[in-house]
Amino acid sequence: MVLKIFFPQCCNLADSGLLVGRWIPGQDSAVVLAVIHYPFIPAQVKQYIQQSGEELAVLGSWSLPKEGQEGMESFLRDLSTIFPQERWLQISRKMGKMDGEEEEEKEKVVFVHYDQKKVMLSRLHPVHMEDTQTAVVFQTVARSQPLFLLDRYDDGPLRSTHWQTEGREGSILVELLKRASVPLCLLLNWLMSVWTRFCRLRAVSGGSCKVLLSSKLSTCIQLSHRSEHMRSISSPGAASSHIEFTRKANTVVSVLVDVALGILLMSWLYRDEHVAALASALVPAADRVATELEQLLQWLMGAPAGLKMNRALDQVLGRFFLYHIHLWISYIHLLSPSVEQILWYGGLSAGLGLTFALSLLSDMVALLTFHIYCFYVYGARLYCMKVYGLSSLWRLFRGKKWNVLRQRVDSCSYDLDQLFIGMLLFTILLFLLPTTALYYLVFTLLRLVVVLFQGVLHLSVDFINSFPLFALGQRICQPYRLAEGVKFRVLCEEPGSALHLLMEINPLSCSAVVQTYRTPASSCYPRDSWAALVRKLFVGELVYPWRRKSSKAD
Amino acid sequence: MSAFIVPKTRKYPVYSRVMGPDSAPGQTVPWRKVLWEPQPYPDNYVDHHFLEELRRNEGIRQYRYWAVVKEAGFVGQQMSSVAIFLTLWLYMEQGLLAPGTLLWSSLVCALLGYGLHQVLTPQTELCSHPRTHLADLQSAAIFLSFTFGFSPVLKTLTESVSTDTVYAMSAVMLLAHLVAFPYAQPSPPGSLSLNAALFASVCLASRLPGSLHTFAMLSCALLVFALWPCLLQRLRENAPGHFPGACVGVCIGGVGGLGSQSVGGALLLFLALASVTFLCPLLLVRLQRHKDNIHGPWDEAEIHEDLSRLLG
Repeated sequence: MVLKIFFPQCCNLADSGLLVGRWIPGQDSAVVLAVIHYPFIPAQVKQYIQQSGEELAVLGSWSLPKEGQEGMESFLRDLSTIFPQERWLQISRKMGKMDGEEEEEKEKVVFVHYDQKKVMLSRLHPVHMEDTQTAVVFQTVARSQPLFLLDRYDDGPLRSTHWQTEGREGSILVELLKRASVPLCLLLNWLMSVWTRFCRLRAVSGGSCKVLLSSKLSTCIQLSHRSEHMRSISSPGAASSHIEFTRKANTVVSVLVDVALGILLMSWLYRDEHVAALASALVPAADRVATELEQLLQWLMGAPAGLKMNRALDQVLGRFFLYHIHLWISYIHLLSPSVEQILWYGGLSAGLGLTFALSLLSDMVALLTFHIYCFYVYGARLYCMKVYGLSSLWRLFRGKKWNVLRQRVDSCSYDLDQLFIGMLLFTILLFLLPTTALYYLVFTLLRLVVVLFQGVLHLSVDFINSFPLFALGQRICQPYRLAEGVKFRVLCEEPGSALHLLMEINPLSCSAVVQTYRTPASSCYPRDSWAALVRKLFVGELVYPWRRKSSKAD
Repeated sequence: MSAFIVPKTRKYPVYSRVMGPDSAPGQTVPWRKVLWEPQPYPDNYVDHHFLEELRRNEGIRQYRYWAVVKEAGFVGQQMSSVAIFLTLWLYMEQGLLAPGTLLWSSLVCALLGYGLHQVLTPQTELCSHPRTHLADLQSAAIFLSFTFGFSPVLKTLTESVSTDTVYAMSAVMLLAHLVAFPYAQPSPPGSLSLNAALFASVCLASRLPGSLHTFAMLSCALLVFALWPCLLQRLRENAPGHFPGACVGVCIGGVGGLGSQSVGGALLLFLALASVTFLCPLLLVRLQRHKDNIHGPWDEAEIHEDLSRLLG
């Protein structure tokens, strides 16, 4: 049986003393946490050990022979009587070699050297695997933090050696942030409560129309999302686990980056009269879109692509849609004096973050292309009714009908007048199908283009919202913090002496970091698979391809 | 390369002698037609009762030539009425027939037919299924108003479709009408046949020059395809002596009408009528003697349930 001893690298050159650590239950291994030097009082040693609350114990003795300390070996061996243990380790180091032996049996020993600071700060992923040996080692070191607060400049009764012996480590920035975070959180909390009360008031007074609007406008969705984030950041309690802390940190960093990018955008926008230029380009752009649509309709009303359409229906549909475009252009021209003001105030929203500016852009695109949406709905409804009617009348043609109760097609004996009228309608619908189908196709394509553009904007908003920048930064700058596992390197392998291995932390891969620490945003992803989408388009059902995960209205 | 599975040698000889402890040697166990008892015979053994229960040509009907000819006349009649319809359409398309004339004559024929239909209905049926004149008038009003209302739409339906396509579609649909027609019981009209005929008539009617032409054509189609078979059925049921006369009259009218437009068509129609009415029954009767159906206890069971006791 092989005994594994996890030995901290900082204790390699420590003076002789007692080994303090933990026996890992069920496995033949021990984790050494610190070395306590002579002189010491056993009661105080026991008190020191009980500090961390784990099942720590005195493992054995460590001896680094120096001149003038010849009697140390036998002294240390007698210590085993003071601290009665089941097993007693005796590790001695001669310069160049390290040997360990247990008191009773001379077993084969493997020394695994580890960097104590890194293991203490590291977090093993996946988080829920608690019973492997590695996880237990990491956990033991992490929980023994109170042990490491005693450095050599303390006037305490004990002298010990561990990674912080040379002096406690800390960063001024981190300490400042920690101090400042408490009042900041309180302030944020108060602000959020005020905002929530305001929102509730507005919702009550606005009624159902406001609710519908606020669930459709992406700006409102983004606003509610951000307020949720702020609420989660400003919660008064400290983060209970590493994951929660990382999530909070991710949210904070993403908000800061968002605001920074937004301010960058603002500084570009409000300089050099960009707002005025945009405003003056907007109305002509809308006009151009309308002219293009009119030309398209004229083309459809002729003989598009050589297809022969039913002239009467063609004219009717074409004129109907042309009238709609005319109405829309009048509205745009009505609005044109105030476009610049609207843009100016809208640009201010970029101060809240780039995501808000993008959401506002998406909403404005939706408003400007509202007529395309209307056309698509008309075309789709007409086509859907036609397809439905045709399928029902085709069943009549064959002498069958749909049994609603049994959800199947049954035969049916129709009356003469039913047959006659059904036949007339079938013929009419069949011959008018190509015309309707073409209009439907054209407007569906237009609508899909707009939806695609809006989808790109939403995806980028979601990306900014949910990308875990803090975790990724941690992975790049301090890779030992996010560990996927460990790897061992052989330091010294000589027959006759113990095997020495170095335990190095294997950092988590970047993709795994992103996947684990993604903020669950209201990610918009396609609602239907490709097959379902194509089927819906074929039948004429209205298609809303992007679905929002957290929206209750869906 | 193929593998052959060589069966093992048979366990039992064809005629076996069982030497049991009690039976005398030389006695054979009689074979029974059961498979659930192990017998000393192979599974595919048959004895001299084999095929005793075979029956040949059970329930075969003896056809008589002229009766079959009389029934086949109905098929010929239907083909001729399609030919009459096509003739009328040809006249309208060439402008030789005014839509007004066609409309009035259709109306007169409809009234005459309706009167005949009422006369031929036996008293008992009138009492058990009363269909008032008002209901008939209502149906007629619905037909006419719908057709008149839709005729401008129907006229422009096939404007953009090429003539060949229209002719091809109509031909296919009329063929489907003839094939799917319920010759045995034409009175409740079969859905597929009537619909196919109406589809073909709409296709053809939309080729005519004006919407009144379309309306007239559709009324004529209704008369020929929907109402005439009902009258014929009534005639066949209640005045069986006059039925063949009516069929012959329609056939002559069909051939004659088509002949005034194209002689080739008339000739074709005549040949078709002759083969359907005279040649096919001859074949049917002559080939009956080659019929060889076998029935036996291996047939699927047919359940003959008398449901009339449930209907009371």
